[in-house]
Amino acid sequence: MRALISWAMPHLIVVPILLPLITAGCMLALGEGRRPLKSAMSTISGLLNLGVVLVLAWWVLENGPVVYLPGNWPAPFGIVLVADQLSVLMVLLSVVIGICALFYSSARWEKAGVHFHPLGQLQVMGLSGAFLTGDLFNLFVFFEILLAASYGLLLHGSGRPRVSAAVHYVAINIAASSLFLVGATTLYGVTGTLTMAHLAQRVLEVPEADRWLLHTGSGVLAVAFLTKAGAWPLNFWLVPAYRSATAPVAAFFALLTKVGVYAILRLSTLLYAGQSETYGRTSLLAFGTITAAFGALGMLGSKRLASITAFSIAVSSGTLLAALSFRSEAVTGGAIFYLVSSTIGISALFLLTDVVERWRNSGSTDPDEAPFLSARFLEVENVNLDDDEERLVGRPIPASIAFLALAFMTFALIIAGLPPLSSFLAKSLMLSEAMALPAVSGALQGQVWLFVAVLLGTGLMSLITLSRAGIRNFWSSVHRDPPMLRLAEGLPVAVLLLVSIALTVAAGPVTRYAQQIARELHDPASYAEAVLSAATVPPPAKKRSDVEVEEVVP
Amino acid sequence: MELVLSLGIGIMAGSGVWLLLRPRTFQVVIGLSMLSYAVNLFIFSIGSLAIDKVPVIVDGVPLDLENYSDPLPQALVLTAIVIGFAMTALFLVVLLASRGLTGTDHVDGVG
Amino acid sequence: MPLLTFVLLPFGAAFLAGMVPTHARTRAPLIAGIASVVSFVGMALLFPGVENGGVISQRIPWMSSAGIDLVFRLDGFSWLFGMMVFGIGALVVLYAHYYLSSSDPASRFFAFFLAFMASMAGVVLSGNLIQLVFFWELTSIVSFLLIGYWYHRKDAQRGARMSLTVTGMGGLCLLAGVLILGNIVGSFDLDVVLANRGLIHKHPLYAPMLVLILLGVFTKSAQFPFHFWLPNAMAAPTPVSAYLHSATMVKAGVFLLGRLWPVLSGTELWFWMVGGVGLTTLLIGAYVAVFQNDLKGLLAYSTISNLGLITLLFGLNSKFASVAAVFHILNHATFKASLFMAAGIVDHETGTRDIRRLSGLRRQMPVTATLAVVASAAMAGVPLLNGFISKEMFFAETVYIQSIPLVEYGLPLLACIAGMGSVAYSLRFIVDVFFGPSCVGKVPLEPEEPPVWMRLPVTLLVLACIIVGVAPAAVVGRYLNTSAGPVVGGVLPEYSLALWHGFNEPLVMSIIAMTVGIAGYLFLRYARQRGRLLVPPVLSHFSGNRAFVLILANLTAFAHWFRNRLLVAGLQRQILAMMLVVFAVGTGAIAMGGGPGTRAPLPLSPSFALLWLVGGLASIATAWQAKYHRPAAIILMSVAGLVNCVTFLWFSAPDLALTQLVVEVVMTLLLLLGLRWLPQREPKKGIYNARTRRQARVRRTRDLIISVSVGLGMAGLALALSTRTLSWTVAPFFLEHALSEGGGRNVVNVMLVDFRGFDTFGEGVVLSLVALTIYALLRRFRPAPEIMALPPQQRALPTDLQTDLLNPRHAKDTAVGYLMVPAVLVRMIFPIVGVIGVFFFIRGHNEPGGGFVAGLVVSVSILLQYVVSGTEWVEAHLNVYPRRLIAAGLLTIAASGAGSFVAGYPLLTSHTWHFHLPLFGEVHFASATFFDLGVFLLVVGSTLFILVALAHQSVRAHRHVEDH
Repeated sequence: MRALISWAMPHLIVVPILLPLITAGCMLALGEGRRPLKSAMSTISGLLNLGVVLVLAWWVLENGPVVYLPGNWPAPFGIVLVADQLSVLMVLLSVVIGICALFYSSARWEKAGVHFHPLGQLQVMGLSGAFLTGDLFNLFVFFEILLAASYGLLLHGSGRPRVSAAVHYVAINIAASSLFLVGATTLYGVTGTLTMAHLAQRVLEVPEADRWLLHTGSGVLAVAFLTKAGAWPLNFWLVPAYRSATAPVAAFFALLTKVGVYAILRLSTLLYAGQSETYGRTSLLAFGTITAAFGALGMLGSKRLASITAFSIAVSSGTLLAALSFRSEAVTGGAIFYLVSSTIGISALFLLTDVVERWRNSGSTDPDEAPFLSARFLEVENVNLDDDEERLVGRPIPASIAFLALAFMTFALIIAGLPPLSSFLAKSLMLSEAMALPAVSGALQGQVWLFVAVLLGTGLMSLITLSRAGIRNFWSSVHRDPPMLRLAEGLPVAVLLLVSIALTVAAGPVTRYAQQIARELHDPASYAEAVLSAATVPPPAKKRSDVEVEEVVP
Repeated sequence: MELVLSLGIGIMAGSGVWLLLRPRTFQVVIGLSMLSYAVNLFIFSIGSLAIDKVPVIVDGVPLDLENYSDPLPQALVLTAIVIGFAMTALFLVVLLASRGLTGTDHVDGVG
Repeated sequence: MPLLTFVLLPFGAAFLAGMVPTHARTRAPLIAGIASVVSFVGMALLFPGVENGGVISQRIPWMSSAGIDLVFRLDGFSWLFGMMVFGIGALVVLYAHYYLSSSDPASRFFAFFLAFMASMAGVVLSGNLIQLVFFWELTSIVSFLLIGYWYHRKDAQRGARMSLTVTGMGGLCLLAGVLILGNIVGSFDLDVVLANRGLIHKHPLYAPMLVLILLGVFTKSAQFPFHFWLPNAMAAPTPVSAYLHSATMVKAGVFLLGRLWPVLSGTELWFWMVGGVGLTTLLIGAYVAVFQNDLKGLLAYSTISNLGLITLLFGLNSKFASVAAVFHILNHATFKASLFMAAGIVDHETGTRDIRRLSGLRRQMPVTATLAVVASAAMAGVPLLNGFISKEMFFAETVYIQSIPLVEYGLPLLACIAGMGSVAYSLRFIVDVFFGPSCVGKVPLEPEEPPVWMRLPVTLLVLACIIVGVAPAAVVGRYLNTSAGPVVGGVLPEYSLALWHGFNEPLVMSIIAMTVGIAGYLFLRYARQRGRLLVPPVLSHFSGNRAFVLILANLTAFAHWFRNRLLVAGLQRQILAMMLVVFAVGTGAIAMGGGPGTRAPLPLSPSFALLWLVGGLASIATAWQAKYHRPAAIILMSVAGLVNCVTFLWFSAPDLALTQLVVEVVMTLLLLLGLRWLPQREPKKGIYNARTRRQARVRRTRDLIISVSVGLGMAGLALALSTRTLSWTVAPFFLEHALSEGGGRNVVNVMLVDFRGFDTFGEGVVLSLVALTIYALLRRFRPAPEIMALPPQQRALPTDLQTDLLNPRHAKDTAVGYLMVPAVLVRMIFPIVGVIGVFFFIRGHNEPGGGFVAGLVVSVSILLQYVVSGTEWVEAHLNVYPRRLIAAGLLTIAASGAGSFVAGYPLLTSHTWHFHLPLFGEVHFASATFFDLGVFLLVVGSTLFILVALAHQSVRAHRHVEDH
């Protein structure tokens, strides 16, 4: 086994990118119909992918980062893929959530439009690529892939709310992408390289006269990332889009904001060294705290469960941004733990919200929620033949309400960061580490207190909101029949539930893992070393010979 | 030369931003493509603007930046052009859909 | 048994109890009973280990790397609490079995009950502060579920939510405090913390830490001003109140006071905060309790008052007082639990808890009456009962305290007053309910004695009260020593648990309290019969309850307002915000003093300047025209685009120029196709007066300033970068290896398919994604109604017009009729363009061109067919399967990329073959060509897919038109 893996090893890293792509290709070759087949395909390829990523994670844990040179060109010149622990963790997260969301959609949502599964696959591909690539411009390309996929998924099911939300979402993201380009190429203009690892070395040699360019470039880049991460005031698009997206898509999107966070995390440790050590720290903290606080206020001010969940995303990214602003290894460790648990919690809550809301509107989502699933539309619209008009009924799982309520409580607690679940541990870890920071100055002290206040305050507000929502949804005095919970809907939620519980029980190993990741992150030198020292596969004799021929010619 | 080009980039970017800040969807889509023009030129202008140094290898000419212009920005611009085109097209269609569903061409779908 | 089991056993039992079917009523309580009894016995057996200062502990590694382990630690103090948690728990289980009606889902009740028991055990056994907070919050959450047991009732919902919010908030404060404490000491381990008194007292953060921790304590133990949640929590089933609100949960707060007493107490701040709050709570609780009409409400306020007493005792900074506090914790638990149960029995038998409706029950339920009388006598502090002794200790403590005169004289007085209050409300409980005329017939049910098993728990507890009261030293002496020892830090003060200390001040105070209390009760009763003093004077105007609800409501309202103001915005605002942030970044950079580089600029050529004069004007004109003259804007924009092309060409980038040109064409065509779905110029809407005009002007100026500054910023950045020479760049590498290893002369193309092939790979995926999205969206899209109709020009034609001018929409073939010339031309172009495409494709690797351009060229030719001949004709004569093309393209890319695996090379590694062909000469053939082919397929497929989607719109539109 081990031998097999080590034989396949360097190539295994591209599987999370290629496999979904190939799956999507095959699905497209199958045309529009054949939904059961397609969802089967997506599940199978997802599971395969999961297996590979697990192997990859184990391997990286054992033997350090895996560096891959597509095109077989040495590091600073060609594009490079790097699977260090952080990347693998993020890929793992996206694969798990991807499987759950796509499986969930097979219950009903995949019927709301065409191309759902291919888009979903390519979404996974884009996410994996964005996490794995070690090249700044290639990161841009994968950002565009995952954004394009997210546009498609957001518009899946169409309908007025979705399309209007999409107008803003797309426009903002295109603008942000141009900022990305400007920032990234500015960095190239200063350092002459695009490989992140190499950037980490080159920034140390930037002459003082060019430092302002370095800061401008990274600053503009940061604005793009902050927009993706949903930092206030760049996140007005977030709630409408996530609220109106279909449930499985929203579950995906909970992860998309984290891509921005990931990019900031990755680059801030690489770029801000030496003279620029503290550049943007304070403003990042400001962004983070304001975002978290406003997100919590938004939760408090919303009624619909979907909006509450959407705002909770802002809280979670805000918390993360604030935590990252300390650029301290210890705090980052807690932040990574928090990232994982809160992302899973939010994604699952999106899925749950869908079931609960449909249950509360007695079996059907409100018309504007899914215009193309309502009988009225099927009558008037002869265009969409892609909705096979079977009645959407499911097998009632016994005690389905109890299950829903339990799941809701779990995810609510995760989001609020209260015991007994992992995000509480992650939060306390972040806080205690932040407090333990050497108080170099009164300013830092103040920042730490601000951090503490925001984390706990948002926790309280989430608690208030979510208890209200829970009471309204599950304790309402009017009697309802238990929801028709289909297995395809129950299973993913259950899986995510188990994962979150596992994160709590195994808090020890998880914490150690997160801290290890943080240590790796805050040691850019060895990252750069590992990437730049990656050797290319020597060309075979035949090829070398005609290389010589070539060199003779001139 | 550089100055002229930079000013040109600035003008394109400025008019793009101006259009982005307008309320009508058509203005926004035009603005986005103007912006992408500006960005493409910006990327292109990085490194060294060079005249008659096409990066197509001619035998006997030493392979260095003295005789060929920097190919990297060009490659980046090519990718950027394509992606920008794709995104603009997508946005255009989204606008049409929103116009069809909301009955207006205001960016916020109201009045 | 190991300490962990005391937490695991109840949790496991809770799980089991949750599993049993709802209707099986005896199984769940049985499980619960067994679990609690076993734990109780186990706990009792551990006593020798903790006697005289022993500590049992068990450490389970958990988050060791974060210094957080599961540490279970049992000393005398926690042993006492453990005994209460499990002992009273067992009794309450027995009681609850009879209390719950047959329709109540027993399994849920006992599951939550056991879960609570487990969390409470977790709190008392925690040897690690974070772990303590963990279980602390858990108790809040589970109690939320228990209070909301009858969830359909509004009061249950309110009570549950209120207690969760208040105690949850306290818990978060406690977390912060604990984190600071741990940070001060450098460990969360309780043993370490308890060993560092001096360090903690000296630390500058002592005060904030103390305040935060005390916030946790006060909220949990219902201390003023957070006491209001407890009365509201009375919506819970009575067994829950008997357990949570007398013996366990509310005691968690004072437990923590005792737990940290050795390290936190002994400061002025401690004295004033803990003592002050305790005293206030003591008085307010007693005062309000007297006026309650709800049995449980009365008990709730008396609980508050007693908790205040305990807090006060801890606050006095004297070891003796702390011992008294521990003793009173025990006593209060016993008599208050029994009282709650008695109240529950009354409620259960009569169907009401309203004291005003109840009276004379001693005839119907003599036994219960007796028990209740004894229990409340203990609460009143009557001699020979346990309450008396702890109260005597309290009085003594107040008398002998050394402090400023105000305290020395004020405290005994207030203590005495509190004593009167307790006597008064105890009397209220006894006399009004069990004595006087019978209430049979005036209450919903026919009261009678409850089953003996339901009475048993009460009986046991009351017996305990009496025994302890008669022979305290003999019965609880050593246990009290054991449990009070850890609180006072090991060394117990001199104290005696004797009944009779001689005729001293405390006794006098007791007598005064007793007599005045009785008098006060009688007076109040008299007043109430006259219909006066029905609500507590003064205090009835301040209701923490109302305040809480008000605060929450206002907070929510504010959040709603805030959300609509600051968290929602139209697209323009969003872009504005983004640009402002960018602006801030830019200014920050300029503040660092940026400037142009040093490289000598290229000599200015006037024609280039002229070119850009045109370009600039065109862009500005576009911006200006885009609102009302869309076609003009499109044309102007393409002028700008052309200027781009020329610029690329000028600075030796033919590939870019070519691509830009073709993209330009396609984009323009798409825009033109889309143009007709946009509405005509709308009639002016809205109000147009001086004010709105001014606002509009202001808005425009603002936008103008922003766009100008962004433009300037871009220009500056571009200038700065284009006038710098890179000290080092990766660029030369590409030039050197393009031909030798990339196998192509056109370096840019080699970069696209080889050096940075992975980018192109992704770019292709983006393109296809966009196509898929557009198709999926448009098959849904119904064009706006007013554009379904024929355009005016075509409507102008009379229907019976005899002409060869045929309507292209009905035309089967446009090559006859007035479109003949363009149609024929375009069809003739088709193969030629195809050839051009192939040409571009082949030469791509060495000359400007490549798969992408070729693909666009080909699709443009097909696009033209659509434009001229109309959708039906094209699709009748030329079947395009765009989706398959895309699929093929994706798979080809993947395959050509993965092909290199076979040779053991990484993804996308290209191989080059060189060979001679007649009349072609030297030919390089790179494997990258396959890759390029994939790109070609993708491009054709995607553009066509988009096009087809758009084209079918018009077809569909006409269908609609003809339908109507």
